[in-house]
Amino acid sequence: MTVTSNAPRRATVPQAPTRKRRVSRLRIRNTLLGLSFIAPNFIGFATLTLVPVIVMFYMSLSNWNIFGTSTFIGLDNFTRLAGDGSFRRAFFNTLYYAGLHIPLTIVVSLSLAILLNNKLRGVAFFRTAAFFPYITSIVAIALVWNLLFSPDYGPVNEILRFFGLSNPPGWLTSPDWSMPAVVIVSTWRDMGYYMVLFLAGLQTVPRELHEAARVDGANVWQRFVNVTLPCLRPTMFFVVVILTINSFKIFDLILVMTRGGPGQSTTVISQFIYRKGFEENEFGYASAAAVVLFFLCIIVTIIQFLWNKRREI
Amino acid sequence: MSETMNLVVPPSRRRIAGGQKTVRTRIGRAVLYILLIAAAAAMLTPFFWMIMSSLKDANSVFSVPVRWLPEVFVWQNYVDIWTRSDIVTWIRNTLILSVSVTLLQVITGSFAAYGFSRIRFPGRDALFLLYVATIAVPWQSYMIPQFIMLSNAGLTNTLWSIIFLQTFGAFGVFLMKQFYETIPEDLSEAGRLDGLSEYGIWWRIMVPLSVPAVASLSLLTFVNTWNDYLGPLIYLRDSSLWTMQLGLQNFVANLYDVDYGVLFAGLTISVLPIAVVFLLGQRFFVEGIATSGMKG
Amino acid sequence: MNTRIIASAAALAAGTLVLASCGGSGGDADGSGDATTLSVAGWSVATTPEFQLLADGFEAQNEGVTVNIVDYDPSEYNTLLTADLAAGSGPDIITQKEVKFVTTFQEGGQLADVSDVSLPAGIGGAESYVVDGVTYATPYRQDAWVLFYNADLFDEAGVDTPDGTWTWDDYEEAARQIADNTDVNGTYQHSWQSVLQGFANAQSPGADLLSGEYGYFAPFYERVLRMQDDGLQESYNTVTANQLTYQGEFGRQRAAMLPMGTWFVATLISQQAAGEADDFTWGIAPIPQFDASTTGMDNTPVTFGDPTGFAVNAALEGEKAELAKKFLAYAASEEAAVALAEIGIMPAALSDAVVDAYFGSEGAPTDELSAFAVQTHDTKPENPTSNRTTAIQNILNDMHSAILSGSTDVDSAIAEAEQRVANEVAAD
Repeated sequence: MTVTSNAPRRATVPQAPTRKRRVSRLRIRNTLLGLSFIAPNFIGFATLTLVPVIVMFYMSLSNWNIFGTSTFIGLDNFTRLAGDGSFRRAFFNTLYYAGLHIPLTIVVSLSLAILLNNKLRGVAFFRTAAFFPYITSIVAIALVWNLLFSPDYGPVNEILRFFGLSNPPGWLTSPDWSMPAVVIVSTWRDMGYYMVLFLAGLQTVPRELHEAARVDGANVWQRFVNVTLPCLRPTMFFVVVILTINSFKIFDLILVMTRGGPGQSTTVISQFIYRKGFEENEFGYASAAAVVLFFLCIIVTIIQFLWNKRREI
Repeated sequence: MSETMNLVVPPSRRRIAGGQKTVRTRIGRAVLYILLIAAAAAMLTPFFWMIMSSLKDANSVFSVPVRWLPEVFVWQNYVDIWTRSDIVTWIRNTLILSVSVTLLQVITGSFAAYGFSRIRFPGRDALFLLYVATIAVPWQSYMIPQFIMLSNAGLTNTLWSIIFLQTFGAFGVFLMKQFYETIPEDLSEAGRLDGLSEYGIWWRIMVPLSVPAVASLSLLTFVNTWNDYLGPLIYLRDSSLWTMQLGLQNFVANLYDVDYGVLFAGLTISVLPIAVVFLLGQRFFVEGIATSGMKG
Repeated sequence: MNTRIIASAAALAAGTLVLASCGGSGGDADGSGDATTLSVAGWSVATTPEFQLLADGFEAQNEGVTVNIVDYDPSEYNTLLTADLAAGSGPDIITQKEVKFVTTFQEGGQLADVSDVSLPAGIGGAESYVVDGVTYATPYRQDAWVLFYNADLFDEAGVDTPDGTWTWDDYEEAARQIADNTDVNGTYQHSWQSVLQGFANAQSPGADLLSGEYGYFAPFYERVLRMQDDGLQESYNTVTANQLTYQGEFGRQRAAMLPMGTWFVATLISQQAAGEADDFTWGIAPIPQFDASTTGMDNTPVTFGDPTGFAVNAALEGEKAELAKKFLAYAASEEAAVALAEIGIMPAALSDAVVDAYFGSEGAPTDELSAFAVQTHDTKPENPTSNRTTAIQNILNDMHSAILSGSTDVDSAIAEAEQRVANEVAAD
């Protein structure tokens, strides 16, 4: 474990002198200094994103129909959500999707990043290839995967039949398999994206530590667990948070692949929000669903945040 | 698996391990390449299909069963999209947006990240959480209030609207902050002893050491701005302001019926610049940049 | 620190709300604007020539008046229009692309009362724009669903072409013979819910989309499932997985029949001319009927279709509002209808002159039955004008994919839809 102690330490402020007045002056100085760094981004962020988000929070307590008129109705939207079978279905579908997609994507993209962090011949090509699913138009992706998953003629099922599976699943046409199929496609699409983030993180793993661990007789797995993972912790935290939020917010891929079907088997919360807001013109109700989605993400993020803090010490 | 992990160690190290291992390594390497090539093929399949479809006529793109190669190569789709659309305008607009958003996002994001990761002040963590929290709000739920605001500010239907929308996200701040936390504090301390201000430390020490993170942030921001559809759709109504994605959708919608052949020709053209950017950008993932100064 | 930021953000937000609520009176559509210029919402203007045609016609009739068309993205038309209206920068003439959104704009107070605009007698679809006795828009175009057939493939299979007397049984039987005698599908049914539910709603006795009872869909679904299983048509799963297009399936002669809206007439003519569709003889027949009581050329076949119409922005005042209403009256008139028919668009006002103009273009079928099918039909609205329609249609769309994908049996899918409508859609 000597290895991990060498990992980069938590950032600290310059040592504060003991006298109280000095402390408070340093505090003010630090606050101003900190704010001066944050301001250029924060001012834009606050006016362009934070304000509309707060408006949306207010709207979730109203029966807003988008054209200016709104009445405060308290928590009515939320009580209605609790009894709405479609919302419950979308909620559990979202959890199901996230529960499969998050671990799968982390494993695949981290493996890819480690593999492609080597000095291989043609590594630039392989990295680009891994990133291609992310930059290929989502329309083309949906079309091609629909073709691949086609139950009767699709190559996927032809391969399964070749290996002796007499009754392969109907994939996007079966309510039991549509979500796993969507997860396969979204993992395939996202892995290059998270690979790029992991690649950046891997550059922070000092090679010296690896060598020291080798000398200490650590095997490959031990080096991965005791050297790579601890050094990767800040990146991992970032990836897990972003991936979690993005998974809970999944929208476009489902829209182009299944439109939520068959039946309601792939309807997710974001789609529920879009339907209620832009199709059924119940923006207040849609905002309430967005608030629920928000708290779902935030609770998970705070758990990760606290866990990360604890591990930091 | 074990071969994979072996590769984490630089080649020079492995050679020391002895002769009998080299044979195994070589076989492993061959297997690895076969696997990599197979994986790359799987990644590129939809793109390949897209290129092939861009060479088919409208009614042949979809058929049962799947046909991968066109019966007749219809190069006309590319001629059509070049001559009958404003693709040059679209590429120019998309480039302006992608480049300026990327630059601004990287600069303001990494600047703010320094404040969040290296300067301790009250309320910092709460403010940071507020930042990250907004990522969790789905855009379609606050899109309309945002549109009303920007409309009242007279910014809708200008490229500025997209620049403002995309630049000030929490994503870049969060990413850079996480990366800065891996850079040893000793380095900034040394900077302080040399009389550098905090701004100087950010510019002279943190920025040069965070090249891989800047590279990944730039790549992802560039791609996201390049491929964004919904933002430009809502904000850019003038055809002279259209981006690649928006222009293509409109061009195809304006044909008698969705002509997937032409659409895919356009999409193929639109992917190429990103592929080039990625090929050039990925070389900044050079192992060990951040640690180079650490032991010295 | 943190609380201060939240407090100031809240203050900013309050400011936004004030701006938002004032939004409705600002922008393009205020009464103070130039009283001789009208802006009209449109989409895909380059290939939807109807807007320019109507604008030119109106300008020619009214000297000094300018009509500008605002070109919206067709797939996100309602979202973009909603955003513009919410920001107070909506167009003067709010084109109603889909009937299901009429109540949205009406309830939002965006549409002016246009009850006093005079319309030609017998114009189709006008009742779709009436809410509580007040008219909020007027139709200018109304497509109806008909049966397209490929006469060459019928000949090849030795099957008689439709004669206007068909019920759905005859349709199924013809599809079966064609599938047996040739190597093409008997018919092609696109994946949209309207292709099946529209007919069930229009033709089934006692059917009512808003009633919350959907047992009447069952026989229609059972027929399609049977036809899929027997290989008379491409299955829903293949249609969605392979993103088949109806233009390709019919135009490339992979299916001998196609139930589709009259808008496909113009498309098919142009695709045949451009070589994108094969060269074959085709015709239009009335859509098959529920039973024999409405078949034959001495009866009026029942089909469905929604109108497209124009509404006036509620923010317009005085002279400008009058000018906008004048535009509505012009667009619905027979004069405009003939001009629309000449470019292959099915106007809401049908007369002999209009039908002659419609079939006047080269490549159009010339037989009597085609003319009858286009001209004579009792067109029921696909989307009844109600603020519950969209929510119900969404639920029925889930039911549609559940049944046709084969993942849920007909009766339990219908029962689930009925339950959802009862629980999730406000009773009005």
